[in-house]
Amino acid sequence: MTSFGRYSSYHTVIHRIDCRVKLMAMILFLVSVFLNYGTPWMNLVIYGGIFIVLLSISLVAKASFLSLFRSLKALWFMIFLLLLINVLFNGNDNSMILFTIPFNAEEGTGVAIRLGAIINVVYIFVRLVLVLMVTNILTQTTKPMELTASLEWLFYPLKLIHIPVHKFAMALSLALRFVPTLQEQTSRIMKAQASRGVDYKQGKFKEKIKALVSLIIPLFMSAFLTSGELADAMEARGYDPDGKRTKFKTDTWGMRDTISVIFLCLFTAGFITLAVLKPDLFAALNISVPAL
Amino acid sequence: MPVRLEHVNFIYSPGSPSQKKALNDINLLFEDGCFTALIGKTGSGKSTLIQHLNGLLLPTSGVVEVGSYLIDMTLEYKKNGKVNTSLMKKKHKKKLKDVKGLRKKVGLVFQFPEYQLFEETVLKDVSYGPKNFGASEEEALNMSKEALKKVGLGEDFYNRSPFELSGGEKRRVAIAGILALNPEVLVLDEPTVGLDAESEQNLMDLLSGLNNNGTSIILATHDMDVVLRYATRALVLENGSILRDETPISLFQDREFLKTSSLEPPKVFSFALQLKERGLPIDLSRIKDCDSLADEIVRARREHD
Repeated sequence: MTSFGRYSSYHTVIHRIDCRVKLMAMILFLVSVFLNYGTPWMNLVIYGGIFIVLLSISLVAKASFLSLFRSLKALWFMIFLLLLINVLFNGNDNSMILFTIPFNAEEGTGVAIRLGAIINVVYIFVRLVLVLMVTNILTQTTKPMELTASLEWLFYPLKLIHIPVHKFAMALSLALRFVPTLQEQTSRIMKAQASRGVDYKQGKFKEKIKALVSLIIPLFMSAFLTSGELADAMEARGYDPDGKRTKFKTDTWGMRDTISVIFLCLFTAGFITLAVLKPDLFAALNISVPAL
Repeated sequence: MPVRLEHVNFIYSPGSPSQKKALNDINLLFEDGCFTALIGKTGSGKSTLIQHLNGLLLPTSGVVEVGSYLIDMTLEYKKNGKVNTSLMKKKHKKKLKDVKGLRKKVGLVFQFPEYQLFEETVLKDVSYGPKNFGASEEEALNMSKEALKKVGLGEDFYNRSPFELSGGEKRRVAIAGILALNPEVLVLDEPTVGLDAESEQNLMDLLSGLNNNGTSIILATHDMDVVLRYATRALVLENGSILRDETPISLFQDREFLKTSSLEPPKVFSFALQLKERGLPIDLSRIKDCDSLADEIVRARREHD
């Protein structure tokens, strides 16, 4: 079972595609999700299409999709909040009233639940899920280090206006490199403090704060220590922030990358065309849909 | 308080591509007042085994019994041969309540324990543990003062910040933090690594003193001199299985085995072994360190003449 958004070390086709392609694909997919394809009904249809594409990519990449719902419990709370706010305050009064919750039966007042409000919530939810799916595929199939390298490549033009992209990239890759170290440290310290009777899960609020302090202070201490040591080690090996650096891993561009770029271009072009022409599928097929 | 492990298996991140079996059918009994050394290379499962003793890790399957505390992961959690993790999690939550009591009985000192210090003063840091286990402010301070005395830190240390101490002193404070709980079983992971000779000696004297007063000591170590001198039982772990379980003396005599598992017997012991092979009738079971070797040579020579 892989957790959401964490790199999983499978060797699927998606894992082997050049990271730069995947990064571009992520951006273009996000653009496609946020384009406007005419009527809300049309948008939902297109989202269905994107969902199917992403789901099949997820399956190929063995990226767990269900964990998305499992690990983001806060998501459900947000959906509920959205639903509540939308139902109560949605200003669009033209849409069909599904049913009314009577407030005061004698006066005949109540809260009208409109189709438009429901659709609006579904809309936001679907977009959110799609965005999470796209990013999940990228982060599950790409090592953080590759990702940094591709970001450096992507931001290369900024070097022309003297922004030290390579320094940012180095800082980013160092930060990423320390994520597992810090995780390890955290679990070590938590276990050490648990052996001293700290309970991170139960207890009163004040005790929990104290428990957190007993974790954070040692964590900071060791983080400062390791970062200092790392800086020394880098300097000892002659690191010069302004020097010209070669790459240890040179990306090899393969056939599969070319093919995925072609697919990506076709896909994006298709969505942009749809967004520009805004064809109404329902009208063309003579299916009547309720107005929103 | 005896500690018993029965068919204990442990798998790190089961089901994921990085799944790793860390413990393989471990069956052990640590008796009251034992002094046991755990020997094994890095990654042999020593630390994993140690964390099972006070419930920090729960076995994937098997039973861990410490005094009246029982962690039972047999049968009911298995479904069609696969471990049912959701059930285990449920059990985990339930267990967490009394696992705290277990941690008071079994004190666990991690490798480089000085990383766990966080309070402003040494005394406060040491009393953090007792307070967590429900001791009153005054009780906790008394227990801490006693623990600090045991590790050889006097009153002048009470109000100093643990962060300004030397490495050896920090470690002593950290160990005092566990000793203040008055555990019946004390488990230590490589406690002497990185200490100077004198601190190491002091620490080992402390452990041996505690052992004489009835505390069981379980010690993971690479230092064979320590094993020979203090331990009454040596366990060799490799790839999560127990290869040998015997006295240090009989372990160090098996040169074939030591060679294949790349363990180096203590110099003192190798020397004694060679003396014996060349005809000096030395009683190997009396060899603990340089002093006892010298005594034994003198004794053997006298009998010989």
